[in-house]
Amino acid sequence: MSRGARAALLAGWLLALAALGWTVGRRLHVTTDLRSFMPAPTTPDQRLLMDQVGEGPGSRLLLLAISRPRPSPGSAASTGAGGIGPSMAGGRSCASGNCSLHCPDAGVPAVACTRDTKPSMAGADADAALAALSKGLAAALARDPRYSQVLNGSFDPGALDPGLLPYRYLLSPTLDTQSLDEAYLADQLQQRVDDLSSPGAALLKPLLPRDPTLEVLKLAQRWTPARAPEVRDGVWISARGEALLLVQTAAAGFDPGAQQAAVAGIEQAFRALPGNGGARLELSGPGYFSVVLGAQTRHQADWIGRISTVGFVLLLLLAYRSVGSLLLSALPIASAALAGIAALTLVYPAVHGITLAFGFTLLGVAQEYPIRVLSHRRAGEDAVASVCSLWPLLLTAIASACIAYLAFYASGVDGLQQLAVFTIVGLLVAGFSTRYVLAYLLPRRVHDVADLRWLARVRRWVDALPRPAWIPLLVAALVALLLALAPPPFWQNDLAALTPLPSSLLQRDARLREALGAPDVRYLVVLQAPTRQGVLALSQGLQERADALVARHAVDALELPSRYLPPVAVQLARQARLPDRATLEHALQEAAQGLPFRPGLFAPFVDDVEAARRLPPLTPERFEQSPLGQRLAAMLVEREGQWFGLGTVSGVHDVQALQALGVHSHGSVRVLDLKAASESLVADYRARILQALLGAALLLVLTISLALRSLRRAWHVLAPLTLATFLVLAVERSMGIEISLFHLVALILAGGLGLHYALFFERDGGGPAERRRVLHATIVCVLSALLVFGMLAWATIPVLRAIGLTVSLGVAFHFCLSILMAPHAHAAQG
Amino acid sequence: MLLASATAPAREIGPAAAAAGAPVAPSVLVAGLGRPAPARTAFAEARFLHMLDRPLVVSGQLAWLGGDRLERRVERPRAEVATIAGGEVTQQRPGKPPRHFSLARAPQLQVLLDSFVALLSGDAGRLQRAFAIQASGDAAGAWTMTLVPRDPTVARTVASIVIDGHARESRCMQVREADGDVAVDLLGALAADMPALPTPEALRALCQGAPGA
Repeated sequence: MSRGARAALLAGWLLALAALGWTVGRRLHVTTDLRSFMPAPTTPDQRLLMDQVGEGPGSRLLLLAISRPRPSPGSAASTGAGGIGPSMAGGRSCASGNCSLHCPDAGVPAVACTRDTKPSMAGADADAALAALSKGLAAALARDPRYSQVLNGSFDPGALDPGLLPYRYLLSPTLDTQSLDEAYLADQLQQRVDDLSSPGAALLKPLLPRDPTLEVLKLAQRWTPARAPEVRDGVWISARGEALLLVQTAAAGFDPGAQQAAVAGIEQAFRALPGNGGARLELSGPGYFSVVLGAQTRHQADWIGRISTVGFVLLLLLAYRSVGSLLLSALPIASAALAGIAALTLVYPAVHGITLAFGFTLLGVAQEYPIRVLSHRRAGEDAVASVCSLWPLLLTAIASACIAYLAFYASGVDGLQQLAVFTIVGLLVAGFSTRYVLAYLLPRRVHDVADLRWLARVRRWVDALPRPAWIPLLVAALVALLLALAPPPFWQNDLAALTPLPSSLLQRDARLREALGAPDVRYLVVLQAPTRQGVLALSQGLQERADALVARHAVDALELPSRYLPPVAVQLARQARLPDRATLEHALQEAAQGLPFRPGLFAPFVDDVEAARRLPPLTPERFEQSPLGQRLAAMLVEREGQWFGLGTVSGVHDVQALQALGVHSHGSVRVLDLKAASESLVADYRARILQALLGAALLLVLTISLALRSLRRAWHVLAPLTLATFLVLAVERSMGIEISLFHLVALILAGGLGLHYALFFERDGGGPAERRRVLHATIVCVLSALLVFGMLAWATIPVLRAIGLTVSLGVAFHFCLSILMAPHAHAAQG
Repeated sequence: MLLASATAPAREIGPAAAAAGAPVAPSVLVAGLGRPAPARTAFAEARFLHMLDRPLVVSGQLAWLGGDRLERRVERPRAEVATIAGGEVTQQRPGKPPRHFSLARAPQLQVLLDSFVALLSGDAGRLQRAFAIQASGDAAGAWTMTLVPRDPTVARTVASIVIDGHARESRCMQVREADGDVAVDLLGALAADMPALPTPEALRALCQGAPGA
């Protein structure tokens, strides 16, 4: 091909790549929703799990703690109240708790300076400063639409919306056992008189005329979480002196991109607060963890990618001594990547970020094609001719790899299907562009690798290796032995173990969760009924047994939906027990005899009761419009025409007792163990992938047999492949590694690479020079694969480590076994 | 020796200040009130509330148990024990389950706690933090302290607290609330002098009068 034509071809290719790149850039939408990588749930429990873990309130909760190093006692002197004389300084330093019975300063009697005196000044300043930060942050976040709820203790969780105050008689359980008659009112009013002379009078005075029986306080006690942190200066302060906040994000927990934006927003708002110097913000929660892990993974993948790219370039330069070849060989890979993404944008509305990340490692197989072509060039021969002779084998290799990756398509998981489309299109484009375009562009002047002296020596040594027929049997026996002796369990079922977090983060989460009284994320009590009222009625029926569980300390707290809103039937029953105006006024008059209340004081009370008698029952829809109603809204969920009530549990000490709630309920009451449901999801997922793999394996056998037209030759290709795969599995098991989904994916990748080695080593004839070229190509491929995946094996993130280790081992074993099990070369022709 | 040097300035200031009627340092007054824990004192309280047509009178014992802990034991007319500790108030009446509520719900309670604890423990710093204090009188004789809460939220409910005392003993505490209600506590020896049907004027006279021997 003339130089001009070659230049034109190159220019054309680059132009095509640019155009493709531009189209892709315009059409590409990347999503980060992790649920496209999870299999479709099949059982109702799994469906609920996906909902809850993805969108449930627990998954959207972020726990915040603001801490500030306490100012030293001496430094508190300059701040604080004005008008303090010099004699006060001595008193203050004494009061800061670091004094013994001797007070150095005059003016303060020693007897006043005791160990019991609290460090009031210094501690209080720190508290006040933290409280100011907490309030500032809460105010800033409340204005931001990314956060649906921000709690810092200043909002009373037990407070009933003022518009709903008359409903208190329908919501409070008092009327279930008492009626508002003279005897009850007399007792209550006497108690109020006693209350008015007690320290609690301050709380009572505003409420008394309207609510002498204190229904509002009873409701507040019912609704306040069992364990709420201490409130100082109007905000939650933990035992360690940190200001605590609870933030609920609008974005679902399964959406790392949106969670990232939410976390970044919180940190930004905190930095913008005045007076935050020296204060530290700590976050915890599922969304934060996914952000941390995402950042870690990206960071590691970045530096690993950089090192391996540099290494790859150096390796190719070393192998081929030609910068031009190196640059040209990058073109098929680039085309493969762009074509793959373009195919994805055509077929799918959004491309998943993980697909892109995984896909690029899978494309590591595609680098084989240019390398094979580069190594097989002969001096004085057009690259086209050498490619033509190589092409049938290359085609078989491409076809087999595509079949293996078809297994992903059959898994039925959205993300994996995208992966399959990406890699199959990429491989096809890489292969065909190597054959039909790259071959024409390669320069004629070339170092024929067959001339390398060290290569000739290595090839002779390889050919001389003994290849007894019992090697496959030995390897098979070794595999069986290792698998049998390996410590159980075989499969890694725990999703959490795939992406573990540093223990410091987990401890922080447990501490904050306990301090804030946030519910556990593991157990849920699920109530199912055709209507909302049905769910509330079920919940009401369960309330007694739930209270018994809490009383027995089987669980620390169990919250059912009916705690916030009783069903309509119960409300109507209570309404019927309310007395009419005349009866109530008479009863009040009798009850207040002898008590010092002014006549007419309780007129607002009588009005409220009268209003309550006429109110329509409170529906969930109406209740959900109030801030407190948000909690109820999170607990009532509709799925496929059925309503589900979700009760949260904290501090489970006796799982059996909890499970016993569901007995005799005909399936309408269930205790969902989210951990068990997620493990069953993983197991189902794995079963489906294994089935798909089996199908792909059968197809592979067929294809290779057909391509090589001989079962014996197919054996020489497939046997090392199978043995090497099982050997990797056995070695990993004997190292104590539990096999997870990512190991399976990596095994498929290693198999794709090993297939190429086996196919080329199996190929007979072509002369010793050709065999040397095969060895050279394979060595370069193996080294480059080891470079990329060996680097991954050093990552700290288990997913990356699993893939790196498995592929590295696989490549090494495939290489060795392919050589050892290839048909014996004739020594005479060496 | 420290004790002597501590009380000497008080004695020196005393007569001069009494003569001049000048304000005396609150720290000195408060510090002088301090007692080691547990510090107990009898009290009798009369509350004048707008919503009631006669005053509520109770009597009993107040005790500061050290730190932030206060115990208010009412003996007449109905037994009741209220303990304030760790940010929580626990009320116990015989025959009824104890009731708890958090101090956080009522900042004015915190203020009252602060004032009582400060008076019984002699912690002037704490008092200064919560109130602006004006004192007049004589540290060795009759004195009056007026406390106005610094926190504007609290000032909306508690307008002022006036404490009358003599030498190192506080005798009388009057809490004036923003809505006009008044609570008058007679402390120590004065508690026994609570009249059966008190009026605000009678109590004020009692508070400002000279103590018996």
